[in-house]
Order: sequence, then C-alpha cells, then structure tokens
Amino acid sequence: MKKTAIALALMGLVGCGERPDPYDVAKMDLKPVPAKVHAERHKGAFAEGKSLSMGAELKPLDPAAVKTVRLDTTHKIIEIAPGVKFSAWTFGDQVPGPTVRARVGDRIRFVMTNRSDEPVPAPALVAAPMMHSMDFHAAMVSPQDKYRSIAPGQTIEFEFTANYPGIFMYHCGTPMILEHIASGMYGAVIVEPRNGYPTKADREYVIVQSEFYAKPDPGKRKVAGAPLYVLDGERLRSAQPTHTVFNGLHNGMVANPLPAKTGERVRLHVLNVGPSRTSSFHVVGTIFDRVWIEGNPDNQFRGMQTVLLGSSNSATVEFLIPEDGSYIMVDHHFANASQGAIGLISTAAKPPAKELEHHNMPASATPTDPEAVAGKLDFESKCLACHSVGGGKKLGPDVAGVTKRRSQAWLARWLKDPEGMLKTDADAKAMLKEYNNIPMPNQNLSDAEVRRMLKYFQWVDAQPAGAVKSAGGGH
Amino acid sequence: MSARPALFALLLGASASSWGCGVCIEDRIAAVYDHAVVSRALGAKHQVAFFHVDGPLAADAGKSVAALAGSASGVDRGSARVSAQSRTLSVAFDPRRTSFAQLQGLLERKLAPKGFSLLPLKLMERPAEWADASR
Repeated sequence: MKKTAIALALMGLVGCGERPDPYDVAKMDLKPVPAKVHAERHKGAFAEGKSLSMGAELKPLDPAAVKTVRLDTTHKIIEIAPGVKFSAWTFGDQVPGPTVRARVGDRIRFVMTNRSDEPVPAPALVAAPMMHSMDFHAAMVSPQDKYRSIAPGQTIEFEFTANYPGIFMYHCGTPMILEHIASGMYGAVIVEPRNGYPTKADREYVIVQSEFYAKPDPGKRKVAGAPLYVLDGERLRSAQPTHTVFNGLHNGMVANPLPAKTGERVRLHVLNVGPSRTSSFHVVGTIFDRVWIEGNPDNQFRGMQTVLLGSSNSATVEFLIPEDGSYIMVDHHFANASQGAIGLISTAAKPPAKELEHHNMPASATPTDPEAVAGKLDFESKCLACHSVGGGKKLGPDVAGVTKRRSQAWLARWLKDPEGMLKTDADAKAMLKEYNNIPMPNQNLSDAEVRRMLKYFQWVDAQPAGAVKSAGGGH
Repeated sequence: MSARPALFALLLGASASSWGCGVCIEDRIAAVYDHAVVSRALGAKHQVAFFHVDGPLAADAGKSVAALAGSASGVDRGSARVSAQSRTLSVAFDPRRTSFAQLQGLLERKLAPKGFSLLPLKLMERPAEWADASR
C-alpha cells in the first residue's frame, strides 16, 4: 500500500513535470515575413477588422485564427474635456485607437495607410501631415522592418503571431515618440490565453488611461467658436499634464457610465499608456477578486484594492458588483483623478450627482476660457492641499465666493505677496488669526499665473451655487 | 568597393542591427520630413533628397547648417531641413538642372569647411515613394 502511494505520488510529480509549457519558445511562431511598404492609398474606413472594438465595451472574441486589422493614421480635432478642442493624431480616426482582440496563436495581419494629409470630417483644422509608424507591444518582430515610419500616402503591411497572453499597448514609434503618443497615437491589443480565461465574466470593458498636455493655440485659432488647444511641449517634457483621462475624455465615463448589474462579475482590461505618469487604479466600493498583471492569468493576485501601472503597464482586474450603486474607477493618485481620470460602473443608467459629491469627486463643470482653464490647473497643483472650492474650510478658506468677499486688487496682492500683506493689511492679519496662525506660503506665482487664477475664481463664482466642487479630499 | 559606399553599407547595417528605436532610416527621415516642402517640390516635379550628416554637428546647430545647405546652388530656396539629433539633412532640388550626384557635391563643398560630409539615405521622386539614393 505504502509503495503504491509513493509510486502514485511520483507519477503525479512526473505528470506535473510533463505538463506542456505554454511559453515554450520552440513552439512559438517566430517565422518572419518581411513588411511591405507601398504607395497605394486606402480610401475606405480608417479602421477595419472584426476583431476591433471601438469603445470601452469589448466585443466577444472573433473565432477566426487570422485577424486582418486596418488602423489608418489621421489628424483631427478631438474634444478631450468640455470646451477643450485638441489637435490630435490618431490610429483609426479616434483616441484611443480601437482595441484589437485576439487569442494566443492567432495571426494578426496588419495594414496601415498614413492618411495624415487627408481632410477629415469637420472640424477641419489639423496639424501638418507627417510620417507615422506602428509599434505593437504584442508582437515579437524586428522593429527596423515592421515598425518603419511611413510618409503621408504610403501604406505598410506586416503580420505577426500573438505568442503571449496579455494586454499590450500599441503606439506610434516615430520620433519624437513622446509627441506622437501625447497627441493620441495609442491603443490596446488584448490577447486571451489559448484556452480562454479561467473565470467567466458577465461584462468586459477596456480602460485606457492617458495624459494630455494641452495649451491654447498661440495663433488663437478657434474650432466651432471654442479655442483650439495644441500640444504643450514644455509641459510634455517636464511630465506635467493638463488632463489625465480614461478612454480619451476628461470625466468621460462619469457622464456615460459603464453598465453593470448587481451580482455580476465585471472584468476590466486596464492599460496605462502614459506617456509619462503612473496610474494607481482603484474601483471605489469593491475589491479586485483577481488581478492578472499585464493581463496574463499566470500573473495572478487575489483581493487587491489597487493596481499600480507604470507607463505601458496593464492589468486585468475582476470584481463583483455587490449591490446597486455607482462604482467609481479612479486613479488613486488623486492629482491625476482631479485632472479627469474618473469613471463610473453603474447599475443605473444615469447615476445621481449626489453620489459624486459624497465621494468628493469633481463635477464635470469646467471653464472653457483658456486663461481660466490654466488657472484651474495652477490652483489644483498648488493650492488644493489647503483650500477647497465649495467644500468648506480646510487649512485655509474655501475659495468659492472669494471674488465676492475680496476685491480683485486685494486678491492679486495677496496671491503675489502674502508675507508682505500679513505685515501691513488688517484683513490679512485677521485671516491669519482665524486660521490658527498658519500663514499661506508664497507660491511664487508670476503675474500671469495670478491673473489666470483670478479668472478661474471669477468663473467659479459665476456658476450656480454648489455647481463646482473641487477634488482632493479623498473619501 | 570605394570608401564611401563601404561606409554607407556600414551605416545601413548598423541601422538594422545595433541602433535603437527612432534611428532607423525612415525614422531619421521623419525627423526632417516637412510635408509642405515635399508637396511643393513634387508638385513642381522636383525631388527631395535625404542625407546622413557626418561631422561635428552640435545639438543647437540645426538652423545654421540648414542655412548653409540652403545656400548651395541647385537647392530649392527655403527647402533645407536639418535634425541635429538624428544627424539628417533634407533638401529639395530640380533634377532637370542638377543631378543627384552633383547636388551632393555642391552641398559638400558648402559644408566641408565646417567639417561635415554627407552620405545619401533616400530620395523621394514621386509622392509616397522612396528611391534608393546611393545610385
């Protein structure tokens, strides 16, 4: 009996040892097929392929073993936040680009025409045509062959086999890569394990986090009456985004929540494309039952609250919807959340606004005047730790209503030189006493920054009472 | 094999094997590609030539080298573009007046006093079509 047990145990061990390695490189398809570049311009749809999903909701896997994917490049104006019309560069004429869904072993036949020189549907203002390329992180190929830059009017075709499961970024790799990604040239490839996922999800969504670095067009051009925004190279190089968003839109999935029902298992494929910031992805009100780092079930964690994603990192997270409500997706780096990295998964089509207030998240109201927008960003980066907007006193006063309490001249002097004001101005001295003798630090604001911040305060005070609430308090 | 083609072959080999992202030939061309210049040139049946710049090209020297190259005879006025980072020069020219080989010679005569020499990368003769510039 004892011998039999030992023999069975050994057989078991031998059996484990013989389990085929799903990552056996000898069985991977690494046969190269040279890329083709030619001058035939595609004139049809900018994005084509049964494996493509255009929005957050992920289509079921296309069973075909060979997936033909077209993602043409375009230049167009997109709205990244209410009133912020941004000059973007795209794959498939959208930001982020469509999501490609495949399975390990599938062959991807990719084709891309550089159509950055074509007029696109209005609004018509676009950046100058330029060379672009495609870099698939899901592929194992020679970059010098497959990821070549092509000129406007050229088409490149290449193919590869998806050898590893995961959520992979794709992006334009043409210099300056930073500018191409920050202008919108990115998307996700989701590769399922060869035998599918180990769990069954009721809902599947893809969430792509990205940053925008926008400034008003120096030429003061307008789009449909609104100011045009262009890439801010200075902010880009110093990694100081103006907007951090999910799926290309500031607070986009607050206005249009992703649906789910109580008791359902939701699977989110989350990709942070950066280009330069980290995401601390969290869903308020639930716990991640499973986290598959990089979207590969072999990299599994259980019971996580947050998943940390560097630029071009990804994770698949699964969780249950425990009861009716709106579950809030945030980047728990709250400076990023305050820039728009917020979305909802809701059991109701339109969640009531009070839920947002409960969690102290920003409402979607935002100024459209470029100076006020810049002032808002300055305020959020320098002042939000000590001041709220409509949220009551913190270390310092609530700035809601401040333009009605103080004159513009007084506020300008105060923002510029708080130390000097505390020596000479009676109102400043009284405020110091009211706030426990904690002086406001001098933020060394320039005259332009002071002017912009005052424009933001004026905008806040012009809104209906309670309409503007700042983020930053957490929950 | 003369020294120049040998060096060019070495350059091409390096682009395929050891250079990282952003420095293969097409990426270097992208760094100086100006669609307005290309469209204007090809519209007039001119061509656009792309060169590797060898020599002491400082990071802030792009404009001065472009001005120097742009002053070479045979080069279309205002068409010279230089990327110091990718060490690439592009110019438009009229092939009916100046052959590609003549163009390279004219450019090098302008640039040689500053210690620069050129290696051809690509030639654009028609929209969206590259030609081998080493012929």
